[in-house]
Amino acid sequence: MNSDDETYILLLLSDSNLPTGAFVASSGLESYMKHGFGSNDPTAFIRDSMASYARSALPFVSDAYRLVSLYREMDVQGSSLDQSSSKLLSDIVALEELYETMMLNHVARRASKSQGVALLTLYTKALSPPSSFPLESDAKGVHEQMSTFFTQFKTMVRREDAHGHLPTCWGALTAALGLTLERSCYLHLFLHARSLLSASVRLNDIGPYNAQQILLHAVRPLVAAETSRCRSLTTGSIPHLIDDGAFDETIHGPANTWPLGEILTARHDLQHSRIFNS
Amino acid sequence: MLAIPKIDAGGGRISLSCHGSAAVFSELSSTYPLKLLSPRIPEDGVAVVYILTYGGGLVSGDRVNLSVDVGEESKLVLLSQGSTKVFKTRPGHRLASVQTSSHPPPTTQIMTFVVNPNASLFLLPDPVTCFRSASYNQIQTFRLTGNASAVILDWVTSGRRSLGEEWVFSRYYSVNEILVDGKRIAKDAMLLDDPQVDVKPLPERALAEKLKPYSCYATLFLVGPQVQAVITELVRRYHAISIMKMKGPDKVIWSLSPLTGNDHISVIVRVAGKETEDVKAWLGKALESVQYSIGKDVYRQVFR
Repeated sequence: MNSDDETYILLLLSDSNLPTGAFVASSGLESYMKHGFGSNDPTAFIRDSMASYARSALPFVSDAYRLVSLYREMDVQGSSLDQSSSKLLSDIVALEELYETMMLNHVARRASKSQGVALLTLYTKALSPPSSFPLESDAKGVHEQMSTFFTQFKTMVRREDAHGHLPTCWGALTAALGLTLERSCYLHLFLHARSLLSASVRLNDIGPYNAQQILLHAVRPLVAAETSRCRSLTTGSIPHLIDDGAFDETIHGPANTWPLGEILTARHDLQHSRIFNS
Repeated sequence: MLAIPKIDAGGGRISLSCHGSAAVFSELSSTYPLKLLSPRIPEDGVAVVYILTYGGGLVSGDRVNLSVDVGEESKLVLLSQGSTKVFKTRPGHRLASVQTSSHPPPTTQIMTFVVNPNASLFLLPDPVTCFRSASYNQIQTFRLTGNASAVILDWVTSGRRSLGEEWVFSRYYSVNEILVDGKRIAKDAMLLDDPQVDVKPLPERALAEKLKPYSCYATLFLVGPQVQAVITELVRRYHAISIMKMKGPDKVIWSLSPLTGNDHISVIVRVAGKETEDVKAWLGKALESVQYSIGKDVYRQVFR
């Protein structure tokens, strides 16, 4: 993929009208404000929330991305394609099962699943090319392979054989579109922060100009720093993605870094009145 | 006589089984700096073990490796005497020793638990207190089978507040993995550190900034038939909470989530408090009904 193509995909995925369900999520911000934490400036919350989210979710984005990427670049057909496709699905299921047991917060879990499934739908309904579209046969093959994968993945989620969590679905989607992993993680954190700012505006804590100002000046170094800090992280659960013996979960594994945020997010539903789902 | 396998430094093994109404240790051994003590208690089928360390704390490079087997039908209560203190270097040696590396090896505590059918584990230590610049890893794995129960408490304080320490250790990592009949139901990994990332022009954000106003964080797992009364009461109290806009944080705050799915058969509870004593009092009240499992006297030893 050349850089123009990549820019185009980035523009498309950063559209705030993209139906991903982020609109109803505040990732704990509403509860945090209600509990009397923080001033009206959401920067401190964004910082702590993003650091913890990056450390706990990016390993899953990255492993799902690498699995789908390997599958996408595989040059196989027929029965060995079916074999690799079912292997891919079972690896994704294992990843999601680990994420489910590591995210011990029912509110965040619920939000993650609804946004993850929205991404699967987005791929099948919007991002895969129409069948009538004249593509070269190589490109057509890759698209068909990806469409089949997303359709199967979605069916498994509907049958509750898979969870459809946001980080795994995001990793899978961006790999299918051919973004680089670096860009994928960067954009994922940017969108997390932007959605917090948009929640802050709707909670009437800051105005829309202020939100853009924070996004440009305060969030930018944070996104860059967290992306680079979490670059070498992995879940450690997919053997062929780990260099031999190089995985130490205390150093490279996913972890939650903000227990206060966990408590406040889980208490979301206890608010007497609330406008967000998480 | 069976030969007892050699145990490495800091290693320990506890193996408990139930004979009639008596809980009997088939093994209770440890090596320096770990020390295990079991006081006699009157309660049927219940045993208590204190996990201690010589000198009252652990230093950089120390490695504790304890494996515990709770036999069918028995109940094991594991306690510590005072908080587990983690030093950067051994006290008293600080002036004499020359720090050769800027990153001393972390202190590591590894504990593995097997809880057999109808057995119960009550892991109720005092909190871990990491001193200035200390680095600590704690890795705990729990394997429960066939209707086993577990109460797992894991908590950390901000440091020696009398010396003005407030979240100034360099790193605290704790992971608790729980498997029931071979299936993982929870893996809670928590990392508290000062990442020192460059986010210029933003100022650095210290660990204390993001954890304030609380100085003690606790995680409590409740799993299995022995703790259903505790869970039911906590779920009732939790759902009775209704939050209106608050002026400032409460002195204790807690949350409750089911471990898997939406039923409350096993739960995780997180508690934060401005004072460790507040958290302890909260836990004592929440766990009041475990005295019917472990006996009033043992309960009072823990939450006196």
